[in-house]
Amino acid sequence: MLRRLATLFRPRPKLEPAAARSAFREHYRNFRALLTANNNALELMATAEEMLQSGKPFGMAFVGGDITALTVNVYKMVRNLIALADGRYQELDQRFHEIAGRVETVVSRRPVVEGSAFVLTMAEIDRDAVDQVGAKMANLGELRNRLGMRVPEGFAVTAIAARHFMEASQVYDEINRRLQTLNADDLEALYRVSSDIQNLIREALLPADLERLLREHAARLEAEGQGTITVAMRSSALGEDTRQGSFAGQYRTRLNVALVDIAATYKDIVAGKYRSQAIVYREQRGYRHQDVLMCVGCLVMVDAVASGVAYSRPPDDPRQPVVVIHAAPGLGNHIVDGTSAYDLLHVARAAPHEIAAVRLAEFTGSCLSAAHARELAHLSVRIEDHFGSPQDIEWAVDRGGQLILLQARPIGTSAVLASGAEAEDCLSGQAEERLRMSGGVTASRGVAAGTVCKIAGAEDILHFPHDGVLVVETPDPEWAVVVNRAAAVVSASGQLATHLATVAREFGVPALFDLPGAMQELVEGETVTVDATGRRVYSGRVDAVLEAASDRPNLMAGSPIHQLLKEALSHITPLTLTAPESPAFKPASCRTLHDITRFCHEKALAEMLRLGGRYGTRDQSAKQLYVVGAPSQWWVVNLEDGFREDTDLSGPFVRIEDIVSEPMLAIWQGMTALPWQGPPAMSLRGFGSIVAQSAMNPQLDPAVRSNMSGRNYFLIARNYCNLSVRLGYHFALAEASFSDLLTESYVNFSFQGGAADESRRRRRVALLADTLREIGFRVDAKGDAVTARIEKRPVPYLRQRLMVLGYLLIHTRQMDMVMHDEARVGKFMAKMRADIQTIQESSGGENADVAQHPAG
Amino acid sequence: MLTLRNILLVDDEEDFLETTSLRLRRRSFDVRTAARWAQALPALEAGWPQVVVLDVMLPDVDGLECLRRIKALAPRLPVVMLTGHASLQASMQGLEHGASDYCLKPIELDELVEKLIIAHKDAEGSF
Repeated sequence: MLRRLATLFRPRPKLEPAAARSAFREHYRNFRALLTANNNALELMATAEEMLQSGKPFGMAFVGGDITALTVNVYKMVRNLIALADGRYQELDQRFHEIAGRVETVVSRRPVVEGSAFVLTMAEIDRDAVDQVGAKMANLGELRNRLGMRVPEGFAVTAIAARHFMEASQVYDEINRRLQTLNADDLEALYRVSSDIQNLIREALLPADLERLLREHAARLEAEGQGTITVAMRSSALGEDTRQGSFAGQYRTRLNVALVDIAATYKDIVAGKYRSQAIVYREQRGYRHQDVLMCVGCLVMVDAVASGVAYSRPPDDPRQPVVVIHAAPGLGNHIVDGTSAYDLLHVARAAPHEIAAVRLAEFTGSCLSAAHARELAHLSVRIEDHFGSPQDIEWAVDRGGQLILLQARPIGTSAVLASGAEAEDCLSGQAEERLRMSGGVTASRGVAAGTVCKIAGAEDILHFPHDGVLVVETPDPEWAVVVNRAAAVVSASGQLATHLATVAREFGVPALFDLPGAMQELVEGETVTVDATGRRVYSGRVDAVLEAASDRPNLMAGSPIHQLLKEALSHITPLTLTAPESPAFKPASCRTLHDITRFCHEKALAEMLRLGGRYGTRDQSAKQLYVVGAPSQWWVVNLEDGFREDTDLSGPFVRIEDIVSEPMLAIWQGMTALPWQGPPAMSLRGFGSIVAQSAMNPQLDPAVRSNMSGRNYFLIARNYCNLSVRLGYHFALAEASFSDLLTESYVNFSFQGGAADESRRRRRVALLADTLREIGFRVDAKGDAVTARIEKRPVPYLRQRLMVLGYLLIHTRQMDMVMHDEARVGKFMAKMRADIQTIQESSGGENADVAQHPAG
Repeated sequence: MLTLRNILLVDDEEDFLETTSLRLRRRSFDVRTAARWAQALPALEAGWPQVVVLDVMLPDVDGLECLRRIKALAPRLPVVMLTGHASLQASMQGLEHGASDYCLKPIELDELVEKLIIAHKDAEGSF
């Protein structure tokens, strides 16, 4: 680039015919398209980086969308550069494809699926089979085969079988297309897409080999069982029921399935992967839909007299040495669905497992005998010891009086335990007055305020607002779909074991259950503060209570999608390319897509200059800017329509009056709006003094520089300007494009400071970064370099920012002079802010969004 | 330069065709829609559209093949690929076969309109 520029300052041959104009225009079109693509690509990179750091949930739709769009724009740059350079830089195309290929490998990576068997029997399953049958079935097999505990007979349909089914029926493309276009905030669309996808799967044909296997295993169960049997079919998704994410209640379980219905029910359960709450859950927790493979457990139904849940430790207080048992008569999902009354028992963890506390649903006695309660406590502790963490265990007692285990998984309490201190028991005066309700059960700890939104039916859910307080009669698993956007959950009934409570805990959303009368007492639309830890509800926002709230956990960090985006971005965002002057500045050195954009941008500018020379259009040679009747320190290269049409270009100069490049004029106005009145410059060779003097007083032409590295030049067109300022060790670059279209409207600025010691340079960069942020730039400051960008804003807004940039370019160097003295820094910054204010007012553009800061 | 007026939407998703054409018409564009290649052909042969919005997967002809055919019929007619299919491979192939842009659904109408205007502007050789 610089070498090219240098040639412009030599005398050049005179014009070629005007016919060259149209060829030049075609190239200029490539140039502008390249710039627009560059800007889009940089914006998409910044968006992805921000998303990665924000902790906000995002799914593959975001990752796929952002990265595809980004790659498209980088590819456009490559193609436009090659067109601009009349076919040179082909090796860049190859380089691009290599890097894009690496990115694609990361983004479209298929999960590795273990094993080749479509079906494994209970006898063949233990924890080592987790990648074939999912955690739920693997844990159950572990209980049977390693711990010798009683579990139902049955078999598991493996992950490889699920993939076989999904791929053979060719539903993936359609599913991914539906999900890509889905806005998960639009609940109506979510329900529709979820139901369409599930139907697609239910209606798909089961591969004949898989169907035959299912029939054979069903026949085997029937032969082994006594009389007519039915089975329970349960999802056991890969990734489900692990400590990282419990997927509680997101999938489907079918009880009492007749053996003839196994194949249809299998498809139904596989389809359950796309239930609306499961889609939302994966998006929120950063799981890729295609990474979750639905294994299905098929277990002989237990003819139960009692059933329930046991926690090897209390989920709300794991230090207590008791096993918590929830028990209800018969068999059912009603405990976890939150719909029925149940017995609550605390049984000592240590033998002889004394029964410590009991709350019964019926005063006639517990449905669980003391002996069974003790046996269950004993098993729970053993299971916890075996798996190494507190467990959540489903159990049943059959008519023969045998205790049978149906499931064991880690308690999803990590979020609860992390949420910190107990609420204080004494209320502050303010809080006491506003206490509305108290009591209930802490289903998920925490404090939050929001607007009451009562949900009675599925249709109410569609209008559930962000940060509303979800108030329900019973904690139906269906409501899980909005838990992530709720500030808090209040339920008139239900307890810890419900799926909704588990989901609330995972999302770190405070939840207070078993608060009778909540639906009647709380008024739709009123603001309340819910203290789930302290089990109280207050009217209005009660800051004294809210202060105790801790931040919600970052659910994305470390999740599969978070990891995937991070890995993909490692091939995209780092800038490893060296300075353009270096011989290593070549396509082969590009290691990331960012490198490629950098290379393209730099070479595009160089090509434009080369073309100006080749087509010999006279005004593409560098002209020295003539201000107030004398030559200045600034040079101008007209790329296209940046000069007034009738400009006399016979000499080496162009007058400022002949410049019609709007972005350049904005920068120039900022540079010259206010003469420097601060402390005197330390050195006449200082950047500020030179620029200020040469801009304002052309008579003081400083040292004549023999090469471009000392020159400050504008490359311009009517709507475009690229300004390079390079003096000594100091380098700044401003680029702006104005357009009626927001896609083509932006300002980019980068600054690398020299000419001061390390700490001063860092401080200067910090001050500069702050100033730029205040006026709306997206700023990235690293070491002694700042890059700042604004994109997609209207022209008056951009013009104003460019004027400020012009001002800063002139005055930033002066910062160094005062940097050692706090008091002077304060004064300097105050003066600078006042100046910026003046400049913005003088530009006549809107400036309401510019932050006002007190002097000093 | 001729301002952009005539837009041909080719997409097999009826919902998308309906809402997008409605909203584009509200902005005074002339819009024709086609749910498959066979329906798009008459408008293309008549040289009606100034820009085409094309989905990647159509029931009768693959989107990329569609693009090839459009480019054979009218080499300078700008085609913006708009799809729910986030595939790097497909997007690069699209550009290689002369697509002006490759965008993903969902897309804001403002953004789509800008992309169409830019594609049209580029094809007209004006800036």
